Amino acid sequence: MIAQEAQYRDWMLAALMGDAAAYRMLLSGLTRHLRSYFVRRLDSGAAEDAVQETLIAIHARRATYDPSLPFTAWVYGIARYKLIDEFRRAKRRPTVPLEDAGELFGHDETQEAIARRDVTKLLNKLPPAKRELVKDIKLDGVSVAEAAQRTGMSESAVKVSVHRAIKSLNEELKDEEVKEGPGDADR
Amino acid sequence: MRTDELIAQLSSGLEPVKRGQVARLLLGAVALGLAGSVVVMLGMLGLRHDFARAIVSFGMWTKLVYTFAIAAFGFWLVERMGRPGAEMTRPLQLLALPLLAILLLSALQMSAPGADMPGMVLGHSSRVCAVLVTITALPTLAATFWALRKLAPTRLRWAGAGAGLFAGAAGAFVYSFHCTEGSAPFIAIWYSLGIVVTTLIGALLGPKLLRW
Repeated sequence: MIAQEAQYRDWMLAALMGDAAAYRMLLSGLTRHLRSYFVRRLDSGAAEDAVQETLIAIHARRATYDPSLPFTAWVYGIARYKLIDEFRRAKRRPTVPLEDAGELFGHDETQEAIARRDVTKLLNKLPPAKRELVKDIKLDGVSVAEAAQRTGMSESAVKVSVHRAIKSLNEELKDEEVKEGPGDADR
Repeated sequence: MRTDELIAQLSSGLEPVKRGQVARLLLGAVALGLAGSVVVMLGMLGLRHDFARAIVSFGMWTKLVYTFAIAAFGFWLVERMGRPGAEMTRPLQLLALPLLAILLLSALQMSAPGADMPGMVLGHSSRVCAVLVTITALPTLAATFWALRKLAPTRLRWAGAGAGLFAGAAGAFVYSFHCTEGSAPFIAIWYSLGIVVTTLIGALLGPKLLRW
């Protein structure tokens, strides 16, 4: 771009005095440079948008060009600003590349969440002492001996208690299925 | 829209740009901002009671020259910041002059026989000086930001800092008509601190407020 500095600068100075033809040649010439600048840094749709944004910015802020300074540095400053602007916008609205779609839909946690909720609901129907036992032994993996020690019951008493609790929960579950109908059972 | 259509649209009915448009915009904004700062100073703080006598004192002129010089180079910096691709080295280098001058003068005053060092450094308003300088600077800071947005700043944090530096120095200039301090060490420390705080505020706000 530096090679055309003198030509572009002449066009710009003429444009600042109101020469529309020089201005049109200037913008057409700059468009080629801007396009290759942005295409290398953005994807093609965003690149053409950035080219147009930059042309509009050049137009709107043309009064800020100081004729004692290099014209190409002025244009580059604006193009660079628009590029950063584009990056900033892309960061604000992050996009997920298509390859990630599988990741997004591959793992469904809904079933797990429903199951967890149902177990809690069911356990709440037990009397508190039994609820603790079932939770400890069946869900948290505490050994029978340990549970016995904790509650002060004998090991066999713990086993019987848990067995009965599970049995009553089974009955509870059957009742519920009958009540809610078969459609809910295969959930 | 296609890009060649856009170009046709932009170049049809092209208006010539008047010379000195940038300078006019900035000077207009600065005049408004300074008027605001003067109103804040007079309304909130008031002119110093011994103004008629003080205006011919050395201390008063130390403040005025120091802050005016920083404001002038700061204004130049702001004008450069508003133009893409412009160099800032020149105004930045020149900023060293008032700094060196005030440091030299401070050293001279403090090394004078019988100098009251703590009195010179702390004065009687050191606790409020920087804050009041910053508050006085705020209208000028707002006006400078407003003007800079209409130009084309491309490094927004630096542009904000430049606007803050200018506004801080302008605010300090206006504030010195209220303040009764006059020792160089006091000015070097507390006036400068107010200018630095305003600069930091500008640097903080630049990226948010200067986008165009």
